[in-house]
Amino acid sequence: MTARILGPMASSGASPRAPEGPSGALEPWEVFRQEKDGDPMRHGGSVMAPDAELAMHYARELFGRRQESVRLWIVRRADVVDLHDPDLLQPPLDRSFKKPGGYVMRDKLAAARSAAGQEKPKARAT
Amino acid sequence: MSTATGLTAPTHPAPAVDGLDELLRSMADDEFVIGFSDSEWTGIAPQLEEDIAMSSLAQDELGHAQALFQMLATVTGTGDADSLAYDREPADYRHARLLDHGRGDWAMTIARRYLYETADSVRLAALMSASWSPLAELVGKLVREERYHLMHVDLWLDRLATTNGEPRDRLISALETLGPDCGTVFTPLPGEPALLEARILRRPMAELERDWRAGVAPTLERLGLPALPATRDPTRGRTDHGEPFTWLHGEFTAVRRSDPGATW
Amino acid sequence: MTDPLALDPVLAPGDRSTDAVPSTLAPTRAHDEAYDAWFERFEAHLAAGGTVESTDSMPDEYRTAVLRFVEMHANSELMGVLPERDWIMRAPTLRRKLALTAKIQDEVGHAQLLYRVAEDLGKPREAMFDDLLAGKTKFHNVFHYPTRSWADVGMIAWLVDAAAIVAQQALRNSSYAPYARTMRKICWEESVHIMHGRDVVVTMVTGSPAQRAAIQEALDRWWGPLMQMHGPRSPREKDKDLRWRIKAKTSEELRQEFLTIYVPRIRELGLVIPDPELRFDEDAGEWRYTEPDWDELRTVVTNHGPMSEERLEFRRLARSETAWVRETILAAPQAA
Repeated sequence: MTARILGPMASSGASPRAPEGPSGALEPWEVFRQEKDGDPMRHGGSVMAPDAELAMHYARELFGRRQESVRLWIVRRADVVDLHDPDLLQPPLDRSFKKPGGYVMRDKLAAARSAAGQEKPKARAT
Repeated sequence: MSTATGLTAPTHPAPAVDGLDELLRSMADDEFVIGFSDSEWTGIAPQLEEDIAMSSLAQDELGHAQALFQMLATVTGTGDADSLAYDREPADYRHARLLDHGRGDWAMTIARRYLYETADSVRLAALMSASWSPLAELVGKLVREERYHLMHVDLWLDRLATTNGEPRDRLISALETLGPDCGTVFTPLPGEPALLEARILRRPMAELERDWRAGVAPTLERLGLPALPATRDPTRGRTDHGEPFTWLHGEFTAVRRSDPGATW
Repeated sequence: MTDPLALDPVLAPGDRSTDAVPSTLAPTRAHDEAYDAWFERFEAHLAAGGTVESTDSMPDEYRTAVLRFVEMHANSELMGVLPERDWIMRAPTLRRKLALTAKIQDEVGHAQLLYRVAEDLGKPREAMFDDLLAGKTKFHNVFHYPTRSWADVGMIAWLVDAAAIVAQQALRNSSYAPYARTMRKICWEESVHIMHGRDVVVTMVTGSPAQRAAIQEALDRWWGPLMQMHGPRSPREKDKDLRWRIKAKTSEELRQEFLTIYVPRIRELGLVIPDPELRFDEDAGEWRYTEPDWDELRTVVTNHGPMSEERLEFRRLARSETAWVRETILAAPQAA
């Protein structure tokens, strides 16, 4: 079962119903794929397999048969740690000082130029 | 000229070697027929993931057949891949008798694929350095695709052989059924001396068969499977196709013959 | 894709899609206030465009609704393999053989992707197969009919897949995110199938007189089932799958969209659509057509169609013949 920290719906106090695991020894394996060298690995989907060898074969078929991938990562779902908690990932207080958009200085720059008697620099000719 | 398989038509003129057409036809027919047997699993294989894998194998084999038939059309200067593949009577097909047992159950499919794929890889290895470069180039591509085929069939041979009861029993029974036809991929071709002379085929089929048998014996022994018997009636290994192929031929010509000359 | 809820108006209560709900997932929770408040917040989350992942907690009502929807979709992909599979050995050229094998392979792939989505909602794959083969869950009306000729192969790949893709495109923004992602992959693959089907149809229409006649004959047979495929009109406001954004469009919206795109494409080939009433009403801005035969739809989707029992029996047989292989997959290897 995926390790997880309870998500937003669970914080209401109602008990979430976890999906039941599959019967038998088949288990889900998550597949990540890279479309071309240098691209990020993106989640593609999952396959059911009893072991890594068959998981690799099946992942190749489900996510590579059209030559749409150059690399696959195949991970047993039980080994995935799922962190999806707004208190930990989307804390409510201001974090704008951590982002470029948190620094708005257009008006201050204009005032500085004006005080210095400078024109706005032209965009460099290309 | 670019062709459906993305291969460039040979710029080197085909050598006028007796037997080159026989060689290409036998290889193309092998891939064509096993591709059809494999494609019979599409939609009904033991599980969904495996179904997709078997369909890919079928498409690979049929794609190889297409490329080989195209090359045959170039060599003989007649027809195209489709007319060469479809427009013959059953007796004129030259695939190995190993492939004439119908689809059978999953164990039969795996046993046939194991014997065929291992034999095919020995044959391809003997053509990798063919003196006619278009053939060597095509074989190089086929070998790259066959790698996965060997991985897939090894995995299944191993799992069936090592799961006692029905899986192992069915596998042994399939190997026993196929046994007498096992070496027919290496049936000597009438034009073989000329192919060897022209350094297209680098080693005689009989030698290739010995190599192949030496290669598979340790695997069968490790898995406790029966050793392969001698091939029955070895000179007729690519003829006498029998009932399952007559059925298959009736199927794959049904639409085409319903309106001869039509474009599909 | 036939939406299971859209079928409900034509079905007897006992045949309605709620039968598909596994008893373990049926809503049993007492409606206490905390739950109601949570449910309300969940609905507000959906209404605001929010999405749900399989690991999120969700009300059983929502889980059940998504499961029922996805399960029928998966069943349809799986059963949809069979009509075309009848022609897989008879394809008339190597390229058609390759394309048809690859298309059917994709349908199996779609079944796998969709059963995976459903499995993660809590119903094991084998249980879904059990219910399908026992006739407890349904599949698409169009897959209950025979494929009589190679022309049918073109007609299915072009127009059945086109009608399906119209529905599936509207599911790419489903609130259930794993389903939405799967739809994006599936739509991309289906677009190749439509090209394959249209190519078969156009080739035959421009071929011999017999080929052209075969295409018209196939269209005559398939038009009725195509018009029934999205299901009868049902009121938007009563449809909770729409409210929860599991789906985005009503059956009538999907049918109108299908007609708008495909009627001109069919007519440009000189083919005659077998409905004298079919016309675009400029004033109303919608297509008028002869009322589809909803009795036929009801008969067919309750497994009384011309091929229903034969196809189910074929699946049962294939499943039982390969049971030993699935046991092999699960078995721990023993020393030889």
